[in-house]
Amino acid sequence: MTLLWGLGMNKSRRQFFMTIGVLAVIAALLPLELGEFYVHVVAIGFFYVMLAVSWNLLAGYAGQLSLAHHAFAAVGGYGSALLLQYGSEALKIDIPLWICIPFGAFVAGLVGYGLGSVCLNMRRIYLAVTTWAFAESFRLWVISEYEITRGDLGLSTELIFDTSDPTPFYYVFLAGTIFCLWVVFEIIRSPAGFYLRALRDDEEAAQAMGVDTVRWKRFAFTVSSAMAGFAGTLQAHYIGLLTPTPIKFNEMAIILIMVIAGGLRSFWGPALGAMFIQVVSEALRDYSEYRMVLFAVMVIIIMRVYREGLFGMLRDGMAKLPSLSASGST
Amino acid sequence: MDLTSFTQYVLSGLVIGVIYALMAVSITFVHGMMKIVNWSMGEFYMIGCFVQYLLVTRFVGPDLWVLGIPVAFCLVFLFGMGIQRYLLRPMFMGEAERLDEYATIITITLMVLFRNLAIIIGGPYQYSVPDYFPPTDLGPLPISGNRFMALVGTVLILGVFYFVMKKTWAGRALQGMSQNRIGIQTAGINVRRLDEIAFGIGVGLAAAAGALLAPVFLVWAESGSVPTMKGFEIIVIGGLGSIPGSIIAALLLGLIESLGSVYISSVYRDLFGFVFLILILVFRPNGLFGERERLA
Repeated sequence: MTLLWGLGMNKSRRQFFMTIGVLAVIAALLPLELGEFYVHVVAIGFFYVMLAVSWNLLAGYAGQLSLAHHAFAAVGGYGSALLLQYGSEALKIDIPLWICIPFGAFVAGLVGYGLGSVCLNMRRIYLAVTTWAFAESFRLWVISEYEITRGDLGLSTELIFDTSDPTPFYYVFLAGTIFCLWVVFEIIRSPAGFYLRALRDDEEAAQAMGVDTVRWKRFAFTVSSAMAGFAGTLQAHYIGLLTPTPIKFNEMAIILIMVIAGGLRSFWGPALGAMFIQVVSEALRDYSEYRMVLFAVMVIIIMRVYREGLFGMLRDGMAKLPSLSASGST
Repeated sequence: MDLTSFTQYVLSGLVIGVIYALMAVSITFVHGMMKIVNWSMGEFYMIGCFVQYLLVTRFVGPDLWVLGIPVAFCLVFLFGMGIQRYLLRPMFMGEAERLDEYATIITITLMVLFRNLAIIIGGPYQYSVPDYFPPTDLGPLPISGNRFMALVGTVLILGVFYFVMKKTWAGRALQGMSQNRIGIQTAGINVRRLDEIAFGIGVGLAAAAGALLAPVFLVWAESGSVPTMKGFEIIVIGGLGSIPGSIIAALLLGLIESLGSVYISSVYRDLFGFVFLILILVFRPNGLFGERERLA
């Protein structure tokens, strides 16, 4: 066993690949059991997992409490859809989706780099307010430039697969989620991850120790925005319609609730929280307002009583079964 | 463009500015005292709107609408004190790693909570409160009676607020707290108690604004979102924590929106504030009148 895994793999990485492998196999078999509706629900759940995990990288690990994450998903979606529509018109060729999707993620990363640069000197509250202002201005821009973005009417775009069956999309979302989890895991394990945590805990001290805080702040913003943009493009080419509604602040509140419910600053927590909130909220669809009240109360209780969230509870429960103890977090 | 219509645009911009000012003052007041941003401020405004709507349509009738403002203020003042005591105070007790992060999470969650509770109670409908006052003229500008009353009411409330802050013991203690939270403890002031009062006054002002503006804008579950948006723009432009700054910034924002929508394009009306805000942040990161943030 040691020999087999000895190829540059330490214990935590081995644990990570084993966990994600088991989860991926389970997830890949799920569509055989679930009905079409729940396949769709879980696919959207993967979209939120990507958003939650990348927001946790920025807010949880790097300590940059940005409130523009939902806007970056939309930047990615609009970037890809607009390239598909206007780029194809301008070049008189059909730009294939496999160019549009990375392009959307790239645009989101670029905008994230720009926003990160604007926010370099801003601490805490100014950062939150500025990122919020960015998200709101993007939403207003989308609404007011209706000649380009079609505003509230919605911009319809091409689907990845030409079918209304959610199953193939499900696998695309699953693959995207595994990719995002892997990227975040590698970042957290690498020196970059330690720089980010140093930045969060004490910026002056990190600077004094020789951490290039400017560079790593930009890095955190760029990577997490690109990831959100990637999730956004996938979602745009799954739903086939982009509207300004998901750029409302409510959406950011949902991402935040998901991350806190799962456990801020833990690796698996946000993913667990996102999937949990998404599935429960679809199961309680008939009680639309009550479920949000329920989640809000849950988050307040978690913040007041047990900061580790659902993942913490799960881990503590697992710790009582010694052989199954779950893999690492910080 | 003749002079009369220009004066009209300027005046209507200033009126809007004054209407925004109360909300901005309440947000900046809470920030100045407790160094947190309350993201659920718009929801307290919405509670004020609903209190006013219920009072005017069910209990006292439209003639006694003035009553709604103190009632909304007092109710929300007590409610806010409770929230501060049971939900926000722990952040000062060393239980939270980072105060601002804790406060942001809690207040955003409260926003979701109140908004959805309001939808459960009031439904997704938009209510309108009967007019306070018949249309009137303000110099060359014809103005709706509601806006006129909102203008007068805001000036009066801000006057009372100024008086309380400058002349009473609690007001002076609050001023001290905004300068140095540890310093006033050496003067024997109970900061925890004062926090409750400060948060109560802050959210109470938002509720008073809601009661005052209920007939100007519609009353519904999301009626708090636009005032919050304007309020945040204003406090960042004016400088976080500076009350005179936020009043001046409110007037400026009203002017910019009014003149901008006439001379540039009314489509971008809501964008002007954000463009102005981002420019301010790039060139004067602490706002027009803000002081440099002290690092604790």
